[in-house]
Amino acid sequence: MSPIHERERHLSRRQFISHSAAGLGTAGLAYLLGQNGLGAAPSRIGGAEQFGGLRGLPHMAPKAKNVIHLFMSGGPTHVDLFDWKPRLQQMHGEVVPDAYVGDKVFSTMTGAANGKVMLAPIEPFAQHGQSGAWVSEFLPHTAGIVDDLCFVKSLHTDSVNHAPAVTFMLTGAPQPGRPAMGAWLSYGLGAETEDLPAYVVLTSVTQGTTCGQTFNEFYWGNGFLPSRYQGVKFRRGSEPVLYLENAPGISDKMKRNVLEEIAKINERKLHEMGDPEISTRISQYEMAARMQLSVPELSDFSDESKDVLASYGPQANTPGTFAHNCVMARRLIERGSRYIQVMHAGWDQHNSITTELYGQCHDTDQPSAALVQDLKQRGLLDDTLVIWGGEFGRTPFIQGNLGERHRWGRDHHPYAFTNWLAGAGVKPGFTYGETDDLGFNIIKDPVHVHDLQATVLKLLGVDHERLTYRFQGRDFRLTDVHGKIIDPILS
Amino acid sequence: MKPVPEYSRLSIGSVWFVLVCGVSFGETPPDFSREILPILSDNCFQCHGPDANHREAELRLDVESNAKAPRDSYHIIDPGNSAGSELVYHITTDDEFDRMPPIDSIKSLSDDEKGLITRWIDAGAEWGQHWSFEAITRPELPVADAGDATHPIDQIVRHELKARGLSPSPEAARRSLIRRVTLDLTGLPPTPDDVAAYVNDATPDAFGKVVDRLLASPAYGERMAWDWLEIARYADTNGYQGDRTRSSWMWRDWVVDAFNKNMPFDEFSVWQLAGDLLPEATGEQVLATAFLRNHPINGEGGRIPEENRVDYVLDMTDTMGTAWLGLTLSCARCHDHKFDSISQSEYYAFSAYFNQTPVDGSGGSAQTKPVLDFSTPEQHAREAAEQEKIPALAAVVDELELTVFPRAEGEPASKSLKVREFDATVLNPLDGPASKRGSNSLRRILDVAAVGESEYIAALNALLEVVEKREAIAAEMLRVMVMGDREERRETFVLDRGLYNAPLETVTAGVPQSLPALPDGAPGNRLSLAQWVVADDNPLTARVVVNRYWQMLFGMGLVKTPEDFGVQGEVPLQADLLDWLAAEFRESGWNVKHVLRTIVTSATYRQTARVTPELLEHDPDNRWFARGPRYRMPAWMLRDQALAVSGLLVDKRGGPGVFPYQPPGVWAEASFDKFRYQADTGEGLYRRSLYTFWRRTASPTVFFDAQARFVCTVNTPRTNTPMHALALLNDTTYVEAARVLAERALAETRSPKERLEFIFARTLARPPASEESEILLDGLLRHFAEFEEEKSAAAELLEVGDWPRNEDLDPVEHAAWTLLSLSVLNLDETLNQS
Repeated sequence: MSPIHERERHLSRRQFISHSAAGLGTAGLAYLLGQNGLGAAPSRIGGAEQFGGLRGLPHMAPKAKNVIHLFMSGGPTHVDLFDWKPRLQQMHGEVVPDAYVGDKVFSTMTGAANGKVMLAPIEPFAQHGQSGAWVSEFLPHTAGIVDDLCFVKSLHTDSVNHAPAVTFMLTGAPQPGRPAMGAWLSYGLGAETEDLPAYVVLTSVTQGTTCGQTFNEFYWGNGFLPSRYQGVKFRRGSEPVLYLENAPGISDKMKRNVLEEIAKINERKLHEMGDPEISTRISQYEMAARMQLSVPELSDFSDESKDVLASYGPQANTPGTFAHNCVMARRLIERGSRYIQVMHAGWDQHNSITTELYGQCHDTDQPSAALVQDLKQRGLLDDTLVIWGGEFGRTPFIQGNLGERHRWGRDHHPYAFTNWLAGAGVKPGFTYGETDDLGFNIIKDPVHVHDLQATVLKLLGVDHERLTYRFQGRDFRLTDVHGKIIDPILS
Repeated sequence: MKPVPEYSRLSIGSVWFVLVCGVSFGETPPDFSREILPILSDNCFQCHGPDANHREAELRLDVESNAKAPRDSYHIIDPGNSAGSELVYHITTDDEFDRMPPIDSIKSLSDDEKGLITRWIDAGAEWGQHWSFEAITRPELPVADAGDATHPIDQIVRHELKARGLSPSPEAARRSLIRRVTLDLTGLPPTPDDVAAYVNDATPDAFGKVVDRLLASPAYGERMAWDWLEIARYADTNGYQGDRTRSSWMWRDWVVDAFNKNMPFDEFSVWQLAGDLLPEATGEQVLATAFLRNHPINGEGGRIPEENRVDYVLDMTDTMGTAWLGLTLSCARCHDHKFDSISQSEYYAFSAYFNQTPVDGSGGSAQTKPVLDFSTPEQHAREAAEQEKIPALAAVVDELELTVFPRAEGEPASKSLKVREFDATVLNPLDGPASKRGSNSLRRILDVAAVGESEYIAALNALLEVVEKREAIAAEMLRVMVMGDREERRETFVLDRGLYNAPLETVTAGVPQSLPALPDGAPGNRLSLAQWVVADDNPLTARVVVNRYWQMLFGMGLVKTPEDFGVQGEVPLQADLLDWLAAEFRESGWNVKHVLRTIVTSATYRQTARVTPELLEHDPDNRWFARGPRYRMPAWMLRDQALAVSGLLVDKRGGPGVFPYQPPGVWAEASFDKFRYQADTGEGLYRRSLYTFWRRTASPTVFFDAQARFVCTVNTPRTNTPMHALALLNDTTYVEAARVLAERALAETRSPKERLEFIFARTLARPPASEESEILLDGLLRHFAEFEEEKSAAAELLEVGDWPRNEDLDPVEHAAWTLLSLSVLNLDETLNQS
């Protein structure tokens, strides 16, 4: 166990003990479970309470308190969505110039890129908003909010395949086993609720997609951090948290009785054995009881206005869709969760850029834009950072046969891709970084994945070099030994 | 509610005092290895350590000659003269430019640490080696201080306790003790008969008899196998995209058998690392090497095979390092190890042993050769029948391709101008004849085949149908992936930043300089490595392994970083105890049962786990063992316990993975509907946790705290989240167990008191205390009233799980007792082994 973990354990024991002295325990449980305690969702606005987190954090004044990461898994095609390149249009069907390729490695589906032919952007682009940002017609709703967005067009990553690149974007390392950014942040900063997990993962996939990469559990893993910092993946359907519902035939009232018996006997045991771990157990069961109350309230959208739900699009009321998950993400933030990772699969158009990309954009464009607008209207965008983007971009050249439009595709492209950020602390209506005239290579202000991660941490008031954890004798951190803050995008 | 006992308000300050300063004071000079090296390593090695690329001022504080070398007009370390040592100046000065560690780093030294370094230099700055790299010698037992203790472990522990003014706790009550030792050694609770036999045994060695019985029971091997499976990153599927199913469970069964037969640990190790290279290797010896092949396989499309291959080789290297040496070799993958004296080239020299694998990294087959083939003649006959149909069908395709893909005579179809724009997934199969194509390739070709070529498409489909059948039969065949070496030796390179495509200089297989050398003339193969790992002079393996056994029994190792015995790992507080156990283990012939028996028969293990205020203050984590161990059992053991106490457990060993309860949709959601979990019916629901099918991308949800089984893991993190409590309260596994436990109590006894005693006896090996009875029987009345009012609820509850309910019982009564049993299954005492 690391010294930090050690310290934290003592801290949590002490916290529990003061907790207990303040009147929790059986009496507290009874209160929490009693009629008065039912269903009242705590508000984050005004006098937010803090649960967990390390002493000394945040290291500096935070701009953001929460993160919603709209992770578009599979590699959204930057040259078809945001990175408008007239020359790519002109060069359609021509061979990619060798100078652009250099010794770059591509996936084995492409092999050597030399000799591949260019593929023009599929849909027309136009400039939008006061900022004049270019967005393609694939994303009309996003186009409508560009003045709230900060585009980073010069991201690059280290891996050319999905699993390592996704792992890299989410955990800072290409191999499985490191804590995800959300785990780091809930470890360092805790959350403003005890009734819901600090770090929640919501997943979806566009119906009928043929190219959806599955999500590995290590994409939201706690790595070497204690397991309570692992992202809790909410499930689609009526039971978003595993084992949340009582077994058939057991009413809430019966469950309260069961919990009360357990608590009484555990307290007795605590007095007999003196082991502080028993008090941890008592609080663990109390929290489980609270979660059983708070999660159903969270998932019940009946208190949402019709207009708000409609703004997220027709799927907002359908559990398991991206739109539903976006509403859920906002509700989680409102209730004090720290980090929401909303993952949508199916952006891997090797041979479906003229077909499945439409469905992909249809399912995600409106909800993403609505989420930003909704947060803004509620004043939540001031301290919530929204990130939109995938693990890499797609090749400006074609994968497939130029003569077969219905099977056009693009391969993975780690050398340049676009993400956008919105909200707390980032410049709205701003674009950073630039690629060459084909969207192939970065020519200005490159941003490595570790730079993005360092910047996100900074926005949350965390120095990425100082949030470390001792494991295997080394002080690990999210950004390994890298990461530069992207100052120009900070407001 | 009752007031919290005063002793709970422990002082954080005093805890730290014990933890940090529990080392010797006074006249003796500070010990280099235990006191000085950790300070230097933690604060200085980053820039003045083994890593040549990040070394400042040409100073190495990890090398005695460099640190003590006279420089132009000064010494960094001048033995005997702290005032003349620059090191002391730099760590104590207020000058912000000279201060070390630099003030802009996150490191800093405490006054105590500065004092230790100063005193060490004044005392002569005696150098030494990192403790775990020193040879293991059996320490002399401190008989004088040990009072009446005769057991060596107790003599060492009591000596240390006395030095700290602590005294041991009395022995735990027999009922508590037999429950503890039975769970610890078999992962199952004792039966009421086991308990009675022990409680009534008046002979002096009653406890020893219990231990012998447990070590001889087959459940012992199953318990030991779980931890080894986590170390071995064992799973029943590949992981990653595709996540195909393997047939490696025969290796898992071999592990159980090996523990049950008490195979010496050195042999157990050699077989798994190099069984294939033993002279005239038996099938069993080859099967053992499946250990190395348990790594995930990445079958993602477009993945570069060599990148995979390197990943697999380095995974084997890292696993060997963690499992046997307790070293974090992977740190040296990208650069010289910052702290331990293992250079990047030494890391790759280790990897060279595994780099001779014939695996090339391509594809996502879960039976990638080399395999140990357990397929049957009947399967082969069916496969051959399909194979026979292929040449004719393939010939039709080849013939048609001459016109579909016109090209120069003698050229393959891939050279046709018509396929110029296709990607490699199409071009590669078109390079060869149709008879060589697998179903994936055929489907890709079908994807791009033009609509008009109906004859060609029909021919492809006909071929595809047969190829798919042949592949399905092949998938049924049991083939366990095992280790082998290819004939031609593959060169191994240092890889720049660990990248597969950035080779630097070549290295030959070998072991690090800082560890004992290989015997002269040892061949450079895995067998030499395996024998070196368990050689008598290897200082690490015996320590690393006994530390894990201590961790298994006490909840925390003597070195609490079991994954790191390097400079940055914990220096053991009880080094003598660790070394005595390591020597005992090695000298007993690596006898695992012997070493476990030695530990559990000590008075130290048998103490009560009760915590006094004094102990909580002086030793909150029980590092000095003035009390017995107490820890929450892992989820797999909790499940086994619930099955055992309810009588549901099916005592059957081995075989393919089984599919117990899992909430619907877990696999489907994780795999976008590619895989659907189909729970077993009947005995598959009630087998021991060890036999549960393990899908690597969606591990069984009932094991809520299990390792991910992606990489080797030796740590047992034990945190308690609300989600764990939800599983234990609401999962079908536990609700059904409560229902069946209640059923047996109702069927076998009459009065509520007897019934409660029945439930307690099976679950906690003791009768309920009167206060507990009161609480639970009061609760029972409430449950009764609830179900009386809501009879349909009782019926619903009694339907949970597959086990048929006993229709003779009154449903309301049965349901009420089910809730009571559920409470008992969730008591803290039930979740702990003590």
